[in-house]
Order: sequence, then C-alpha cells, then structure tokens
Amino acid sequence: MPASKSPVIETRGLRKVFRDFWRRPTVEAVKGLDLTINDGEVFGLLGPNGSGKSTTIKMLLGLLRPTAGTIRVLGSAPDDTHAKACIGYLPEVSHLHTFLTPRETLMYYASLFGLSRAQAVQRTRELLAMVDLEHAADRAVGGFSKGMARRVGLAQALVNAPRLLILDEPTSGLDPIGSREVKDLVCALAKGGVTVLMTSHLLADVEDVCDRVAILDRGVLCAEGKIADLLRQPDAVRFEVEGLDEPDAAAVRAELEARTGRRVRQEYPAMSLERYFLQVVARDGQQRTFAMAPFLGATLSAPETDPTPTSNSLPMT
Amino acid sequence: MFPHDGQSRARGLALKQTAAIARATLVEAIQQPVAFLILLSAVMTTLLVPVFQFHRFGEDGRLARDSGLACMLVFGLVLAAGTAGRTVSGEITCGTAAAALGKPVRRVTFLLAKALGVLAVTMLFWLGVLCATLLAERGSAHFISHIEYTGYVMDVITLVLGVAGVAVALLVAAARHYYGRRRFGVSAFVGVVLSQVLVVLATGFYNRLGQLYPLLGEAACLDSGAGHAHAAGWVFYHPELNLRVIPVALLVLFALAIFAALATALATRLPTGPTLAICAGVLLLGLAGDSLLIGAPFWSVRGLVAGLLPDLQNFWLCDAVARGGRIAWRYVGAAALYALTCCVLFLGAGCLAFRERDLG
Ligand SMILES: Nc1ncnc2c1ncn2[C@@H]1O[C@H](COP(=O)(O)OP(=O)(O)OP(=O)(O)O)[C@@H](O)[C@H]1O
Ligand SMILES: [Mg+2]
Repeated sequence: MPASKSPVIETRGLRKVFRDFWRRPTVEAVKGLDLTINDGEVFGLLGPNGSGKSTTIKMLLGLLRPTAGTIRVLGSAPDDTHAKACIGYLPEVSHLHTFLTPRETLMYYASLFGLSRAQAVQRTRELLAMVDLEHAADRAVGGFSKGMARRVGLAQALVNAPRLLILDEPTSGLDPIGSREVKDLVCALAKGGVTVLMTSHLLADVEDVCDRVAILDRGVLCAEGKIADLLRQPDAVRFEVEGLDEPDAAAVRAELEARTGRRVRQEYPAMSLERYFLQVVARDGQQRTFAMAPFLGATLSAPETDPTPTSNSLPMT
Repeated sequence: MFPHDGQSRARGLALKQTAAIARATLVEAIQQPVAFLILLSAVMTTLLVPVFQFHRFGEDGRLARDSGLACMLVFGLVLAAGTAGRTVSGEITCGTAAAALGKPVRRVTFLLAKALGVLAVTMLFWLGVLCATLLAERGSAHFISHIEYTGYVMDVITLVLGVAGVAVALLVAAARHYYGRRRFGVSAFVGVVLSQVLVVLATGFYNRLGQLYPLLGEAACLDSGAGHAHAAGWVFYHPELNLRVIPVALLVLFALAIFAALATALATRLPTGPTLAICAGVLLLGLAGDSLLIGAPFWSVRGLVAGLLPDLQNFWLCDAVARGGRIAWRYVGAAALYALTCCVLFLGAGCLAFRERDLG
C-alpha cells in the first residue's frame, strides 16, 4: 500500500435531505457525515438498509446535491469532470441499456471517457475476458441474469483504469466464484495503488478486503477505524494447532484451565462453505485462476487467498 | 491516455460524448416497436391515400400532399415528443442517466446529446414521410394531355414501388435479424426510410404512363398542372415530383424540432405522461396563437400566453403551395431562426432544470 496519506475523499458536515414534489422534506438520509478516505486505502462503508450508504456515494459523484456540507473527491468538487475521468463507479443496481450488448455497453462507456476506438476495442476485449463474459458478449444485456449484468457493471467501472474505484454492493447477485473474484480484484487493484470505496452487506467480504471501515446508521456515522482495531478482543487469545489428536487437545485444555483458572472453549473449525464451493466447482480439477490477472498484470488464485482458517483452532475465552 | 487539461481537448471529449450519447439515444428510440409503428403508419397512410381518393379538392394530388404533410405533423409530434419524454425521463428513472453522469460527462452535454438523438430520430422519420408524400402526390390521379393519351392517369407504378419498398425493407430487416442477429427495429426503421428515398430517386426513370426514359420531346413530358413545359430533345431522367413541398415539409420539421426540445426539457423533471400532456396543450394553444392574440390587450394573460408559446401557425403552410404556389426560401430561413430560438430557450430551461436534479 502506498505510504502517501493525502485524502482522496473528504467530506465535512455532509447532509442530505430528500424532498417531495412540493419541496417538503421526506427523509434526512445523511446527517453531518465527516469522512476521510486516504490514497491507496480500501474503505468499507457499512450500515443497515436505508442507512445512507448509496446516498453518500451518489453525493460523492455529484449525482445527488448535498443539502449541506462540503465534498472533495481527488481534490475537486464532486461534479468536476477531470476528477471523474479518474473514477470508476459501480452503482448499486447495474443500470445498463438493455438493448445494448456487453461489448457495445463497454464501447459506449469507453467513448464517454474519450478513449480512441482502438483503445476502446482493446479495453473492451480485456474487460470482457476479465469478467468472463466473452461467450455472451454479443447478446443484449436485457436478457442477462442478475449476476451477469453485475459483471457487465463491474467491467464498465474499470473501463478507464480508475485511480478511485467506488463499488456499491459489488458482490450482490454474484455467485461465490464471482464474489471471490471481485474480492481478489479489489485486493489486486489496491496493490496497484487504486483507492477503493465499497459498500456491502456481506461483512465477511468487507473483512476480507477492507483496511478501514465506517458504519453508518440512519445517516449517522457510528464507528470508524481499521478493521483490526475495531475487531480486536483484547481479553481473548486464540491458538490454532494443526494435527492435534483428541487426547493431546484434552490435555492442553486441562492444563490451560488449571493454569488460568478460566474456562477454555475447544472447537473443531469446519471449512468455510465458500471454500468448499470453490473446491467443488473448480473446473478440470484446476485451481480457478482469476481471469483478471492478465489485465492487472498479477496472477491471483481464488483458494490460496482465502483467509478462512482450516486447521484445528482452539479459541479461548 | 485520457484527455486532461486544455480547452480543445475538453471540447473534443465533449463532442465525442455527445456523439456517443446521441447515437445510443437514436438506436434506443428507433429499435422500439412503437417508433417503427408510428413511421409505418405515417408512410403507409400517406402512400394509400391516393388509392382511396374520391375528391380533387380543386387540384390534382392535393389531397395526397396535404394528408402526407398532416401525417408528418401528427405522427411526427407523437414520435418526437414521445421519444424525448421517454428517453430522458426513462433514463433518469431507470438509472442509466446516473451511470453516464458518473463518468466525466457534464449534465449540459448529456441533455443536449439526448436532444440531438431525438432530433436525429425525428429527421429520419421526416425524411421517410417527406419521400412518401412526394410519391403519393406523383402517384395520385392527374389530368394529363399526352400525344398518346389525354385524361386522368393514376401512377400506379410509383405507389406500388413505394409500398413494395416498405415490404422489401421489412424482409431485409427480418433477414438481417435472422442471419446477422442485427436489431430488427433499427434495420426496419432505417430500411423503410431508405426504401422511400430510393423509390423517389427511381421515379426519374419512367413517366406517369409507365414508359421508361429516355424519351424524346413531347413523348417524355407529362408534367400536369400549371408549370408544364415540353422538352426540346431527349429526356433521360425526370422525376416529376412536386419539390415545392420540401419547404412546407421543412417548416413541419421545425415544428417537430420545437416539440422535441420542449419534451426534452420537460422530461428532466416530469414523467413521460405529463410531458406529453403539456406538449399536447402547447400544440393546441400554439395553433390557436393567432386567435388568442387578436384583440388581446398588450399586458394580458391571453397576450402573455400567445407571446410565450411558439406560434405554430407559422409552421403549417400547406395551403401556400396549393395551385402552384410557392414558399419563399427567405420565409423558411426566418422560420428556421424562430424555431432555433424556441429550441434554445426550451433546452436552456431544460439544462437549468436538470442542473439541480437529483439522480438516484
Ligand atoms: N431518490 C430518493 N428519494 C427519496 N428518498 C430517498 C431517495 N434515495 C434514497 N432515499 C432514502 O434515503 C435513505 C437512505 O437510502 P440509501 O439508498 O442511501 O440507503 P442504503 O444505505 O444504500 O441502503 P441499502 O443497504 O438498502 O442499499 C432511505 O431512507 C431512502 O428511503
Ligand atoms: Mg444502497
């Protein structure tokens, strides 16, 4: 991760009040949000439904006008087109022109970034391969499944090789392989110095990829910090031992209980369902290699980056 | 890789974006079955009027011409206002506008590109119906005095070619869809327009009696009506079309452009239904503009309404070309300027309304 810590996104006292046709306030979706996201960070914006995550993101992109407060994105106002040329955005729902094919969609967005035809054709080819949609590249996206549309949405967010990537629930609708790939992509992009802001309801996903998170509730920032800091339980220690047989485990446990005078909990962790799924659907008995690798110049493979523990673990409280 | 500072680069980018958005709007609009049905209805009605014509209205071909122009105005208004309303408010509600504006696209660029896309659809439609009108007028019964025949003649070949052109365009569109997986709506829409243009060009190769050129002198010339002259030598190509219709049709196109701009502006804030309703109101009041203004005091609601709304009577001058009449090109120029002013005002208001519009 790059050392520089200049803020890529900075909001101060950000408020958004939605109004009805008669300009009467209907809901205050964001209430005085102060947020700072630094260069090269992967930042997770969490919160229950309706807590104002998407509203915040839309304000960062100049799609919604804030009622009060200031926003700086890449040092500029939210609707500055120079700044937007460096931003990739995946909306909560992949809003796509249903009559266009994925290829046409990517060419369309490439032309909005001013890419030449040759550049656009090449980028489109790379992105279609990356999101594994080459087989459906010439079918209208109107007939796509939710996950396929999501993949097109993801590809269009990367069309300009962004410096700042804003992903609103990127894994929603994706199959486990797709989610894994998105997480790998985010990690790879972050390694390349891209700043990522993402929202997700899948906390495990956020935990896997984010450096820092903020939790919004009804428009108010309730918690913010590094995941490791937020999640650390200072009064608990966990050991993990591979290949420990039952009598030894019981002996260790008894020893620990005798020594500390506290109850020790012993568990045999199972493989995560995600990892199991990835193993089952691995094609041709091979590890599934992330198709984004050539595009990013890095080789990533799904199961290896899975941080879920698979060995015997002995959590103690 | 991406354009950064520099005004010319920014302008180049804006042009590129405008072209992309306008093109997507055009494709989206004409691949809608309803757009194609509107074009098909207008063209077929225009081409079939001469077949069922039982009255001359004092001039050969007048009924065909007037109904062609009326189809152009009525169907064109529905198409222009409907497309503008649907494409702008549709994109705002379904989120594709937000997706585009999340890219480095200015809101003004987006809206103007949308308006240009709608204008392109309208112009394609207009071209198709204009050609059909020219064909219908030529095809309808005319009194001719020819060395071989004197009396009323209906140019059935031209009408059949016009209708056959539509049929062929549909078949080609179906084949392109089946074999090339091309969009049927787009091929059909463009194909029907193209077929009418081609038939218009083809009418120059034969006369009203169906005789192929080249023909010599009197044998060639069957121009009916006042302006009919005899060629001295061989005639190789002679379309016998009433080109005086073109300025009248241009005026109709200006009216359609005004409505496209108005609907685009309204759709930035309103759904398609209310947009169309307001357009219909403006149409009625605009046509009544003259009578509203007559006798109205300078400062009055009537005067204000008549002053604010575009006076559509300026754009409906089909009587001016009756019995050999002409519309001066200077008038067309002035009307173009008037229409442009209306469009700029409407789109300017639209841009202001869209600037603060929440997209999400
Ligand atoms: N265009 C809108 N008009 C009116 N109210 C809106 C609009 N968009 C969002 N809201 C309201 O703002 C609040 C926050 O919505 P937002 O979409 O930001 O939530 P969220 O945190 O993204 O939720 P989710 O997790 O379900 O996506 C909600 O109460 C919602 O009803
Ligand atoms: Mg949301």
